[in-house]
Amino acid sequence: MTAVHDSPGSLDQDAEPTAVVTVSVNGAEVTGRVPVRMHAADFLRQRLGLTGTHVGCEQGVCGMCTVIVDGEAVKSCLMLACQLDGRAVRTVESLAEGDRLGPLQEAFAARGALQCGFCTPGLLMTATALAYQGGRPDREAVREEIAGVLCRCTGYEPIVTAIEEYFAGLPETGEEEENART
Amino acid sequence: MTVADLSRSEMDRPDLPARGVLGASAPRKEDHRLLRGDGAFTDDVQPARAAQMAVARCPYPHARIVSIDTSRAERLPGVLHILTGADIRETTGPLTVLRPVPGAPELPYRALADGVATHEGQPVVSVVATSRHIAEDALDLLDIEYEPLPHVVDTMEALGPGAPVLQPAVLDSNLLAAQTDRRGDPEARLREADVVVGARFRINRVTALPMEPRAVVAQWRPGARMLTVHASTQVPHLVRKQLAETLGLDESEIRTVAGDVGGGFGLKLGVFPEDVLACVHAMALRLPVKWVEDRGEHFRGSTHARESVHDYTIGADAEGRIVAMMDRYVTDLGGWNSPFGSAQLSSVVFNGPYKVHDGLVERRVALTNKTPIGAYRGYGQPEVNFAYERLMDMLARELGADPVELRARNMVTQAELPWENPAGAVYDSGDYERCLRMAAEAVGWSRHRDAPRTLREDGRIVGIGFSSFVERTGYASSRFLARRGSRFGAHESVTLRANRSGGVDAYTGVSSMGQSSETAFAQVISHVTGIAYDAVRVHGGDTAASPLNTGAFASRTMIAASGALKAAGEEFAAKTRRIAAYALGCAPEEVRIEGREARADGRTVPLAEVFTRALTGQGIPPEEEPGLECTAHFEPMDAAYSFGTAAAVVSVDPVTGEFDVERFVLAHDGGTLVNPAVVEGQIRGALAQGFGAALGEELRYDPGTGQLVNGSMMDYFVPTAADVPPVELLHTEVPSPVTPFGVRGVGEAGTIPPAAAVANAVCDALSAWGVELFTLPITPESIWRAMRAATGQEAP
Repeated sequence: MTAVHDSPGSLDQDAEPTAVVTVSVNGAEVTGRVPVRMHAADFLRQRLGLTGTHVGCEQGVCGMCTVIVDGEAVKSCLMLACQLDGRAVRTVESLAEGDRLGPLQEAFAARGALQCGFCTPGLLMTATALAYQGGRPDREAVREEIAGVLCRCTGYEPIVTAIEEYFAGLPETGEEEENART
Repeated sequence: MTVADLSRSEMDRPDLPARGVLGASAPRKEDHRLLRGDGAFTDDVQPARAAQMAVARCPYPHARIVSIDTSRAERLPGVLHILTGADIRETTGPLTVLRPVPGAPELPYRALADGVATHEGQPVVSVVATSRHIAEDALDLLDIEYEPLPHVVDTMEALGPGAPVLQPAVLDSNLLAAQTDRRGDPEARLREADVVVGARFRINRVTALPMEPRAVVAQWRPGARMLTVHASTQVPHLVRKQLAETLGLDESEIRTVAGDVGGGFGLKLGVFPEDVLACVHAMALRLPVKWVEDRGEHFRGSTHARESVHDYTIGADAEGRIVAMMDRYVTDLGGWNSPFGSAQLSSVVFNGPYKVHDGLVERRVALTNKTPIGAYRGYGQPEVNFAYERLMDMLARELGADPVELRARNMVTQAELPWENPAGAVYDSGDYERCLRMAAEAVGWSRHRDAPRTLREDGRIVGIGFSSFVERTGYASSRFLARRGSRFGAHESVTLRANRSGGVDAYTGVSSMGQSSETAFAQVISHVTGIAYDAVRVHGGDTAASPLNTGAFASRTMIAASGALKAAGEEFAAKTRRIAAYALGCAPEEVRIEGREARADGRTVPLAEVFTRALTGQGIPPEEEPGLECTAHFEPMDAAYSFGTAAAVVSVDPVTGEFDVERFVLAHDGGTLVNPAVVEGQIRGALAQGFGAALGEELRYDPGTGQLVNGSMMDYFVPTAADVPPVELLHTEVPSPVTPFGVRGVGEAGTIPPAAAVANAVCDALSAWGVELFTLPITPESIWRAMRAATGQEAP
């Protein structure tokens, strides 16, 4: 056995080049120094303790790490923490109000849209970002939109139903009214 | 009626009178935390000053490790500790196997390759550093010299002459073991049969691919001699046992905690090398050590599944009565024996739901230079179902018989159950034919049967295919397991403890991986005791806070746990009634527990008061002991067999081989349903995995280099939301006579029938060409090739 250091000393990552980022996370401004190669998902999880954002493949395929950056769904494993500087991030932790689940979360619970729950934050944030776009996607459109987040437990059917019901319960947007008129 | 329809009306009523909560789709206990991102997965455990581990892995399928020079890596600032195979040989024993192959030599392997590595991805060196970045940087600074050795990756070639022998110290070939189960004289029956059909079926190598990779956090307090291990596992108590064996510690010195587990599906069964490595590093450094598998490691260093080759033969008389079934198959074990090893249930249910006296099933286990095979949802049952159900359709074609009637004629009938199959499995109860008829009717089989298979307007031909199955759920007693050499028991256990808030804390070793055990356990407790579902809290997965149990696998949890929950609940309720009666001044028999209170003759006492009396010993009958805590164990004496039939409606383009599963109906019986919505979720989820393995997933190795060629999520395609075919569920509910409440396991059934049903539908559509499929996965290319072969054309 090779004991490289008798005493590990400081575990701060002194040797790493760092940068300072200022980012709005779930409405609160955060400033911190991060290693330049830390990705955004690790920043949220390890520096801010927002462990609801999960990491599943680190290559932008599985979608577990999906968060909303400036209104768009983003795979946070493909983004560096530095790239969050000056931007607004929304994570799954923002969806409930106090102890009360939001309507999308309620729809997931009512429809059995989660089992192990590991993919759930990614799906919730994908659907939340989809709602920002306005409109009422039909089932097929929902299937296509969430195809970037994998789920190995549910077979997706209840997830699609939950998202569909969530959209059905949203107030009509101005854009939709515009479309309805023309 | 779908499973969900049965009980939707009872949803959203967690406060409903407790009786009735069993069988209702009660809201899941697990949901609230998971929906808020507040689960506690292993990577969410972030101890202060935790160091991070990274693992160097063998890049060759088979290689001798000539030398390892760690000096450059040691000099990298932030690197704390490095282990090589020599260190591991000195400090630990071999990893132990939970389910050894009966009659086979042990294949001891250690957490780091000991001189020779037998598959790409086998751990060779591990490094711990102050950050994961630095640990991974250090891997690049290791100088490891390998001498590549001859390799073999094809299952059948591994058993052939000239293949390199992978374990020459204990074996003279790559055949680890052969086991035969037989009854009667199937060879003679086949010789006498009017019709014999047989073929070689190749089952693809796939992987469970839980969305949460494996992960471990190890912490050691030398003064306390206490090793705390957080791990993403289905079996925390078995991990504790295995770690104790491998690390040479007493079990009392280890606490294993499985918080939320992000999917298991059989893959997270038992100790993996990295679990041991993290512990050894943590004990050397006196620092918490964390390792979280990356997805590239997952594809090479976790376990794969299913790969097997079945030579299956069925003989029948002219009336279509089966006279013999014979399956000789080879399972691929990979480079070494994982804790569970390759699938065994192909043998147990090799004849499916069909009545046959004379039968034989031979299982041979082959070593290859590939990632080890482990347990995966279905564990042999989808594999063998593909073989016998494809042959049932081929038999029907040979006889000119209706494939539905042929199945019905041969199914074990309700009156004949219980019935012992040629492998010794005792099917308990059910109405197999009813599920078959339900599925056939749902897809309009009788109309389709007599219609010509002609081109539709879109240029496609529609076919319908069936797959009937039985599914072994649970284990038939610890004596059964002992005969198979398994090193775990068949029981589950629970402790119920009253709290002063008027609720019940339930403690179980079962970890929560999506199977909804917290929900189902609370439902049974509420049902048995009368205490409100909302007042029951289930704590799972911590070996320091649960009675010893077996774990969540083999569709066994509910079968075994419901007996323990029932026994503990009854004892708990009886004592609650005695103390409540004392408080109310009446006889215990007069007391009923309802929700959060006990009542007798119109008077009530809150459970909070009853439990406070019990816990303090103040205000209880003089002969009563203080405290209110009940522990029970239960071991089922028989397995329960779920069953069902799937029907697939598939359209095929006969020119290109492209196809779509347009409808998929599953008629299934899971016995008494504890929670219909949860059962529906289990079935739909397992079906999606079944479709994945049937229609797309396949881990491929290059025979020349022995490399896994598609070991990333970019290249290995699991179904997305846009890929899963539409599923319709039908349902019967025959309670099992051999289990508490009549439950059967429901976690794995959906994986079994998709491949055979879809393949049979494709072959039905293309029957004019005589196309038969024998290989998984089923792809447009494989259909196109089968078309070319059937029509005598060459294919590139």
